[in-house]
Amino acid sequence: MTGWLQSVHPQTLRVTALALVLALVILFFGSQIDNYYTARMFNRISTSVAIILLIAIGQALVVITRNIDLSVGSIVGFTAYLVGDLLVAQPDLHPLVVVAAAMALGTALGAVNGLLVAYGRVPAIIVTLGTLALYRTLLVEYSDARSITTANLPKWVVELPQATLFSIGNLDIRVTFAIALGVALVVHLALTRLRAARRLYAVGSNPDAAAIAGINAERVVFTAFLLSGALAGLAGFVFLARFGNITVVAGLGFELKSVAAVVVGGVNIFGGSGTVIGVVLGTTLVDVIDNSLTRWALVSEFWRDALLGMLILIAVAADTLMNRYLDRLRRRRHMSELSAGTAPLPRETG
Amino acid sequence: MPEPVLAPPVLTLAGVAKSFALTAALADVSLELMPGEIHALVGENGAGKSTLIKIMTGVHQPDEGTIRLAGTAVTITDTQAAQRLGIAAIYQEPMVFPDLDVAENIFISHRDQGLLMDWRRLHEAASSQIARLGVTLDVRRAASGLTLAEQQTVEIARAISLDVKVLIMDEPTASLSAHEVARLMAIARTLKDQGVAVLYITHRLEEVFELADRVTVLRDGRHISTRPITEVTPDALVRDMVGRAVDHFVPKAAAGPHGELVLRVRGLAREGVFTGVGFDLHAGEVLCFSGLVGSRRTDIGLALFGIQPATTGTIELDGRAVLIESPEAAMRHGIAYVSEDRRKLGLAMALPITANISLASLRRLLGKLGLIDRRAELAMAEKHKERLNIRTHSVALEVGKLSGGNQQKVMLAKWLETEPRLLIFDEPTRGIDVGAKTEVHAIINDLAAQGVAIIVISSDLPEVMALADRVLVMREGRQMGIFAIEDATPEGIMSLATGERPADAA
Repeated sequence: MTGWLQSVHPQTLRVTALALVLALVILFFGSQIDNYYTARMFNRISTSVAIILLIAIGQALVVITRNIDLSVGSIVGFTAYLVGDLLVAQPDLHPLVVVAAAMALGTALGAVNGLLVAYGRVPAIIVTLGTLALYRTLLVEYSDARSITTANLPKWVVELPQATLFSIGNLDIRVTFAIALGVALVVHLALTRLRAARRLYAVGSNPDAAAIAGINAERVVFTAFLLSGALAGLAGFVFLARFGNITVVAGLGFELKSVAAVVVGGVNIFGGSGTVIGVVLGTTLVDVIDNSLTRWALVSEFWRDALLGMLILIAVAADTLMNRYLDRLRRRRHMSELSAGTAPLPRETG
Repeated sequence: MPEPVLAPPVLTLAGVAKSFALTAALADVSLELMPGEIHALVGENGAGKSTLIKIMTGVHQPDEGTIRLAGTAVTITDTQAAQRLGIAAIYQEPMVFPDLDVAENIFISHRDQGLLMDWRRLHEAASSQIARLGVTLDVRRAASGLTLAEQQTVEIARAISLDVKVLIMDEPTASLSAHEVARLMAIARTLKDQGVAVLYITHRLEEVFELADRVTVLRDGRHISTRPITEVTPDALVRDMVGRAVDHFVPKAAAGPHGELVLRVRGLAREGVFTGVGFDLHAGEVLCFSGLVGSRRTDIGLALFGIQPATTGTIELDGRAVLIESPEAAMRHGIAYVSEDRRKLGLAMALPITANISLASLRRLLGKLGLIDRRAELAMAEKHKERLNIRTHSVALEVGKLSGGNQQKVMLAKWLETEPRLLIFDEPTRGIDVGAKTEVHAIINDLAAQGVAIIVISSDLPEVMALADRVLVMREGRQMGIFAIEDATPEGIMSLATGERPADAA
């Protein structure tokens, strides 16, 4: 019967379905766009994925705890601009110091979110909608209508996006892409192996039960926002390196992209489940579609956001339907056990 | 060395009392739990069982009395502290993490396990915990795919993995199948053999006699009796549970002939909730649904009002079959539902009395331009304030600021305004004071006299005896019987509701 469906973890189903969809999408665009399977396309998508993936992983950590971080786009813009400004003023800073500064700045901004959500008990959607606007406005104030330009940045920063770690055939694995994959690997290992990280799932899965099990839910949620901020900060630095010219609109709309990547990647928007593998696939899917549409003659690239929105809706709907189906299977099993061994119906009276 | 004759009690409660606001939930309750015993705790709804459990698990602090664990006085500050002391509870609705697998669910509270997850060791340890309970369950499965019974097993495994000394099982079998109940009882016996003290709360007397070594009865927050199971009979137990002075039950005088048939229900069922419900109801008649918590009384009300529609069966109003799939449909047919849950299904607490009363009949208040006629709304509220004796200085007051009894009257006023022919009351007097209770009863009788057909869902036996013309007894989603109030006794209702007496004895 359908019993095997229940023995498979729902997460495995999600990831498998997603990998299939990704393959189909790539095949589809390959048939529509000339010279689609080229090294150039791969490099373009991989450098773009590098940024979104960092943000999406942070977003996933937050969503797993039943929260959401809408301020990530503003954090990316904020750190990209401020770190750029720092580099213009002090071009001789060691690269590691620069990266550390970007992450520290992001962490600080994430801490504000985390404090308000975890300890202030304000809903995450309100807090981060507020800081989305707040951080952006602070940036506009600070920038005073100036831009960071490539010409003023140190050479190593400008060359970073082209830097190749190694090549497979003529596919280049860029340093920034490798960094993002490295982060993904570390977070993946943490989420599956680190005891403390399992609490993210516990808190998101059943907050009441987590409290009874003695898990400090406030600290767990706060930490998730810190990490989301830190990763958005790192993404801000990669953004600076990739584009060089930074204005106050840097990172605009990344909250939508990251939520799309996470939700499409099978992270349950109601918390409790999600994997890094899913997020990597989700990010790739979102970005492949995004980048391919600009080259697809049939559809205007202005449809990109609409398609992103649609993708979110489809992913959430598919997930809900799947869960409802599994739930019904379970209830039916329960009912058949119930009726297997109970007393006969009472006589009809009235 | 002298051998101790009796092991000392593992947990002792002495003189425990607890009040909420002005109501005493527990007064001078004492209880001793021995290692390796299954101790049943029984009592009517509201007898204080839940409060007692919450005190033992640290959810509530007692106002008076002491708790001793193996002879040492302890203060149980929270559920964490209870767990550290070796006291754990499992409930009817299990507290599991649906997204985590069985093994992780079992060991989630363990702290001293190092930085990294050792999945293999975790799964092995979980398997052996599950095996200790004498059941088989794949520890790698996500808890979301488990049945209720399996989730309970996970909870029990979690409790014993923490070296539990006292395991409280709060109506664990309420939603289980016969097969699953047998398995759970086997688990309880296994734990007993391992020296655990099991406090087993249940409404099913047959389970008490099958499982328990001793049984304690609570009634109205007081300790009534604790006896070895060999020294009690089911009858004696029911008497202890009901036990009010018999003259407290004044059955309603047999009513005269009622009006026409209003409602005819046959074979009504909602998949997985209740089944086999059938009755007739005439104009001016009061039918009470009686039964214990979890007997699904309320669900029949929710089905008749279309909140959770029935999946099979027929409902006929005035001889015509009707389909009630939403509250709107129910209201169109002249059905009103006064909910037990005033906060969730009954009232808009932040709105004034006027707006709450007019809420279900706004259409009749529409004046020029389709706007609400405020003056008519005010008049409507004033009328009910007089008629139902709602005590407030102004009908503009927010409903949330009224007492429970007056809130109940506001809710009733709202539904009276729809001029219902069938009025369903769900626990109409729960949480309101005695004075208001008498008033509500008078209002219900008055409405019946005016020819409204009335259903009262109540877990309060004296209330049932005072209001009903006929009583329908539910047990675990099944109709156990229906009889005229002249033929009913509190003991009779209770023994049907607890399953001490089978359905055909009604």
